[in-house]
Amino acid sequence: MPSKEIDMIKVLETKLKGKPVQIQLGHLGTAAVQASAGAYKDVLKAMLEADEKTAVTAITGIDLGANIGVYYHIRTSNAFITIQAEVPKENPKIATVTDLMSGAAFHELEVADLLGVVFEGHPSPGRLVLPENWPEGIYPLRKDVKASEVKLNPPSTVDEKLSDEGKLVKIVIGPQHPALLEPEKFAVTVDGETVKNVEPRIGYVHRGIEKASESRTYLQDVYLVERICGICNSCHATAFVETVEKILKTDVPHRAKYLRTIILELNRLHSHLLTLGHAGLEIGYETLFQYFWRDREPIMDLIEIVTGNRVISSSMTVGGVRRDIKDTDIPKIKTVLTDLRKKLPFYKEIYENEPSLKMRMQKVGTLSKEDALKLCVVGPVARGSGVDIDVRKDEPYEAYGEIPFKVITYTAGDTWSRMNVRMDEVEESINIIEYALDNMPAGAYRVKVPRVVPAGEAVNRVEAPRGELFYYVKSNGTAYPERVKVRTPTFANIPSFLKTAIGESIADIPPNFVSLDPCFSCTDR
Amino acid sequence: MIDYLLLIFRVLVFPGFTFILFFTMFCDWVERKIEARMQNRMGPSFTGPSGILQPLADFIKLLTKEEITPCESKKTVFRFAPILAFSVLVFAMCFLPFDGSSIIPNVSFAGDLIFVMALVSVANFLLFLSGWASANPYSSIGAARVLTQFLGYDIPLLMLAIAPAFLAGSLTISTIVSSQWLPFAVLAPWAFVLFIITMQAELEKDPFDVPHAESEVVAGHETEYSGGKLAFLKLARDVQIVFGAALIVVLFLGGANGPVFFGLPAFWGTLWFVIKLLAIVVVSEYLTVLFARLRIDQVVRANWRILLPLSVLSLILTISLAVWIYPLV
Repeated sequence: MPSKEIDMIKVLETKLKGKPVQIQLGHLGTAAVQASAGAYKDVLKAMLEADEKTAVTAITGIDLGANIGVYYHIRTSNAFITIQAEVPKENPKIATVTDLMSGAAFHELEVADLLGVVFEGHPSPGRLVLPENWPEGIYPLRKDVKASEVKLNPPSTVDEKLSDEGKLVKIVIGPQHPALLEPEKFAVTVDGETVKNVEPRIGYVHRGIEKASESRTYLQDVYLVERICGICNSCHATAFVETVEKILKTDVPHRAKYLRTIILELNRLHSHLLTLGHAGLEIGYETLFQYFWRDREPIMDLIEIVTGNRVISSSMTVGGVRRDIKDTDIPKIKTVLTDLRKKLPFYKEIYENEPSLKMRMQKVGTLSKEDALKLCVVGPVARGSGVDIDVRKDEPYEAYGEIPFKVITYTAGDTWSRMNVRMDEVEESINIIEYALDNMPAGAYRVKVPRVVPAGEAVNRVEAPRGELFYYVKSNGTAYPERVKVRTPTFANIPSFLKTAIGESIADIPPNFVSLDPCFSCTDR
Repeated sequence: MIDYLLLIFRVLVFPGFTFILFFTMFCDWVERKIEARMQNRMGPSFTGPSGILQPLADFIKLLTKEEITPCESKKTVFRFAPILAFSVLVFAMCFLPFDGSSIIPNVSFAGDLIFVMALVSVANFLLFLSGWASANPYSSIGAARVLTQFLGYDIPLLMLAIAPAFLAGSLTISTIVSSQWLPFAVLAPWAFVLFIITMQAELEKDPFDVPHAESEVVAGHETEYSGGKLAFLKLARDVQIVFGAALIVVLFLGGANGPVFFGLPAFWGTLWFVIKLLAIVVVSEYLTVLFARLRIDQVVRANWRILLPLSVLSLILTISLAVWIYPLV
């Protein structure tokens, strides 16, 4: 069944006849479905039956005054649908959707933590984002919370012992561990060298950026959301400004779209090169690491040439980009890209054929296509398992609709496939940048936009290097947003690691984990 | 009297303790520099010319650091394992003829090859104990890996070491060296290549460095160590690497044998020995740079399924070809 031809709206209209739902076309994606408390599960069920690629992208919780809105953002193979449900603030209970889609578990936990919505029937309720000593009954993303009222409980004095129950040893990977460059904790129970269980705990570096962005203007928020992640900063900025532009109904100049595409692809290039090298480090292949990072440096220089900054590029703004590209810089960029392209066959050969690398990566962390769909994974992780989702193709933004490129998929679903997806995408990125440079339209690179954004809401997705990045912005008609929701790709991909690590050796944890390209500063917004 | 002074000089200065200590550090520098250059890095560059004093600086720095003994560790073992491992390895080195004769004159006896190999196993076991006494899960996993690996690889290593002993008709190191006017590496290249690979595993270097897999078990058996004890653990490891290379030189490359052009034969002997040893260090480092680290189960499987049968085959081959090889010895 060619999935591209499913008309999800028609499916929903026929299947949900007589149910208390309202379909609003063109709002929050392809369509927004307002479903009263009971019916949202029927909508999801109907979508799942019609399209196997239906997956939960994010769950947004939002304080609507008397009620709390719970928005399920669902992606299908060719549509993006938001199911809007509401629960009263006094008794915020809603049934879990994890029975239909296990990938929603993390999203539900986050909404429960930050807005106090109780998801009845959730398989593993508990704290995910907030610290253990956070007081009960205070939910940071509700509008009536005052910072002065938050009194943290004294930190737990019970020291977490490395338990030694019979044969099982509990090893804590993180918050400080050489394999993790950022602080998160994974308590791994091992029997000898075999992993029996993995318990995640994230939120060690949670900065409350979603809340902080509510007290800054839209323009300030562009630079705030950029700082969610140092590596894919341009993706965050682009996702945010596009969302605001959707509310403003701004027409971004054609040239700005191409410039954004170039910056986004440079971002992807250096991110992929970073991961491909880092994977070498995790399997004790230092030489590979050093080589990749050597070749990543010129790309960082290119980002500096194009945007003026090496890391946080600060190049996006609502209505365009902040800096035009100089004609004299274009040959420089092309030289660097040609040099990199010449080196690619060598790297590809290593990643495809080097025996010790294959021994460490093949059949490690295998995620089947069914699990990948069920766990709602995104980006190279999904593509490595044969799920051909790529926002750049599925819902083209910026100039991606006009630029030819391939969506890389591998079917084995193991660490090796995921890394090879990235390896091939490096070449595609170079092609995209070169095409964009050759076909750059003339004209303005930004338009002026009003500072005050009219009331409205919008969702937006971009394909960050790590996968689909989702933004939801609600405006209340002032210069400050009412709600900004960010769902980062790593947040969606962690559940797949929890599943694939079990039953494998501890030695498989680092390569398996790094193949998700985990970014915890993204995960802890 | 002069004999005693000579003995003390030989044991303490050259080619004994001081020489071994500084030569080990020199080898460490060579390794680091070669690895760095192969990986497009600079490597140590600031301490001394081209950073040659960096290993010494690291050693002294570690000696000045605070030493922490975890309260749940087995304190006696925890304290003495590093220094004992280092001492045992240096003691084993005393049997190797650096300048043509072993460090303590006339110490060589029939079967000292077996004795030296046994000393290395003891040193490895002490490294295992150092991790086991730390009362830390990373250490105990790292220690278990050390044990698994050296127990497995000791067998093919010893089997391969028998080949030169068989060709020389003696288990005495000095006899083995003196019968190599043509190095055994030329006469029995199959055993030589296998010995280098097995030694790579025995020395826990890539692709066999699972006990030191920092992304899995932090620093393995060294995790809880600090200060002087860590300094000696690291030094013991470096001495082990030099010892491994020296053993290859002795068994397969003819030890200190080489042309003497003028002056003291002892000087030329040491020079040839050092040059051969450095060549082995370079080859071993080249292998390290070339491969990714294998998984512990793959390492163990590689031993029992590949190296052990191959070492048996190599021994059979050596024995069956002995008729043609003997005239060349």
